[in-house]
Amino acid sequence: MQHNKSLYPPLLVRIGSVWFRHMRVYSKNLISNGLPPFLEPLIFLAGIGLGLGLDLGSIYGIPYPLFLAGGLFMTASMFTAAFECSFGTFIRLEFDKVYDGMLAAPVSANNVLIGEILWAGSKGFFFTFCVLIVMSGALLLLSVENMFSSLFIVFIPLLGFINGVMFGAFSLLITSFVKNINHFNFYFTGFLSPMFFFSGVVFPVHNLPPVLKELAEIFPLTHTVRISRVLCLHGLRGKYPGMDAAYLLRPELLLDALYLIVFVVVISYLAITRLKKRLID
Amino acid sequence: MDMDTKIVVHVKHAYKTYDSLKAVDDLSFSVPQGQCFAFLGPNGAGKTTMMKMLYAKAERDRHPDTVVKVFGYDPVHDELAIKNVAGVVPQEDNLDVELNVVQNLKIFSKFYHMPSRYAEKRINELLDFMELSEKKKAPIRELSGGMKRRLIIARALLNEPKLLILDEPTTGLDPQVRQLIWDKIRSLQKNKVTVLLTTHYMEEAYQLAANILIIDKGKKVLEGNPQGLLEEYIESHVLEVLDKEKFTALPESLAKKVRREESGERILFYSEDPKVIHTIADKLAKGSFYIRETNLEDLFLKITGRKLHATQ
Repeated sequence: MQHNKSLYPPLLVRIGSVWFRHMRVYSKNLISNGLPPFLEPLIFLAGIGLGLGLDLGSIYGIPYPLFLAGGLFMTASMFTAAFECSFGTFIRLEFDKVYDGMLAAPVSANNVLIGEILWAGSKGFFFTFCVLIVMSGALLLLSVENMFSSLFIVFIPLLGFINGVMFGAFSLLITSFVKNINHFNFYFTGFLSPMFFFSGVVFPVHNLPPVLKELAEIFPLTHTVRISRVLCLHGLRGKYPGMDAAYLLRPELLLDALYLIVFVVVISYLAITRLKKRLID
Repeated sequence: MDMDTKIVVHVKHAYKTYDSLKAVDDLSFSVPQGQCFAFLGPNGAGKTTMMKMLYAKAERDRHPDTVVKVFGYDPVHDELAIKNVAGVVPQEDNLDVELNVVQNLKIFSKFYHMPSRYAEKRINELLDFMELSEKKKAPIRELSGGMKRRLIIARALLNEPKLLILDEPTTGLDPQVRQLIWDKIRSLQKNKVTVLLTTHYMEEAYQLAANILIIDKGKKVLEGNPQGLLEEYIESHVLEVLDKEKFTALPESLAKKVRREESGERILFYSEDPKVIHTIADKLAKGSFYIRETNLEDLFLKITGRKLHATQ
């Protein structure tokens, strides 16, 4: 006898089981897998934030390490999601044939790819959360700032999730074009690395020359970093009277939120449609 | 076949084109419940593609005459309902190498929405059935090819499928494992499980299948039960002359009575009459020839030709 009477498992179970598979395989080597996304932002904060930041003093009314931290939460999430849905997806697709196995079970190609994107988002959530806790702790110990005093930071991991979904979907779209795994170098060095420097992570976007400033608005990272920084700093506004108004909650941020929604919907749709053709013969 | 027998797989005029390659070209067949049905064909004949079309892993060409039904469901619209009751063993191993044997099965039990306790019980049963119980905690990379194959079969059996799709289940395995897998397939059939099989081992088709479909370049060549096909399409005996350079021509009277084929260094003489075969052999040096009954392989080579295609 079949144990389930319905024709096949419900949608959430199907997507959830794809997610579960990734979680189970990833967490098998959590320490080695998790080291780069966790440690890299901390090294960057220590090297640039503390090293350079001490000379820099404050930037728009706030200590530089604090400014930098607000951006690094999102880059942690970006890199982990991007690796997962580029190299990770490609290896599952072409070398390990993981999807062939999944697609033999009652799961559709759409379910598989949505599970993939949500998994990237979950990794974004997880690493944003870890980096947030450790960075806030470090900033507290160094008596730069007690970020825990601001309630808004609880939303940062959630933003890390959305950022992960965004870069997961985008990386899937890139993967749908890639036939040779080495071509991901173009994506990482040609796109993600420049974005890291031109999306307001390391210095404010409005310091860029006009053309680059416009370009920065196209980058998805710019928008999550902007929101992330506000979530970091809005609760601390009392302490820094000279703080730039750009770091406070304001209605314009809805435009950034709108960008995220549109980006996620459109890019996910394109990525799934294109990659499905490689899952199904 | 009696009229009450349920048809599990029903395919009429199926087509599949990849760019300019016709992988499946007007295939029709049907498989009644509990039968083992085998696709035979050289590499690239379209066997795997046909199987994949049944569970929507491959999308068939849109063609007005095409009908594909599995348990009455069309894979284009109801792939999930089909996959819930069909177990698939793909050609390539795709286990999660980071995990161990039980963990691999556990992950798959989630896909079928099995309650945890039930899944554990089922997994133990299946490991027992496939004789893998001792390897329960073994990491996949420590398993032999045969063990991996058995584990993939166990995985396909998790949800107690009514249809088992096996794509070259024993390719590359040693004789012991092959025999074991054959036995398991036979015992599943006793429980009314319908089995679809692709293989290029004639022996495998002969051992397991009630019906075989020989396909070549996507087209149906022959269909029937193995014994029937042998009787109908090929002589019963063959003499293999192992070195054709040492062979002098046959007298006219004998040459008329045999069918001659050449293959590389060998000459093969086929005949219904073993006496004719032996008459020829009597003139040959000991050890330079080999007499045997014909098998599916001879039939297969006769039908699909001895030369390799570009896709092989």
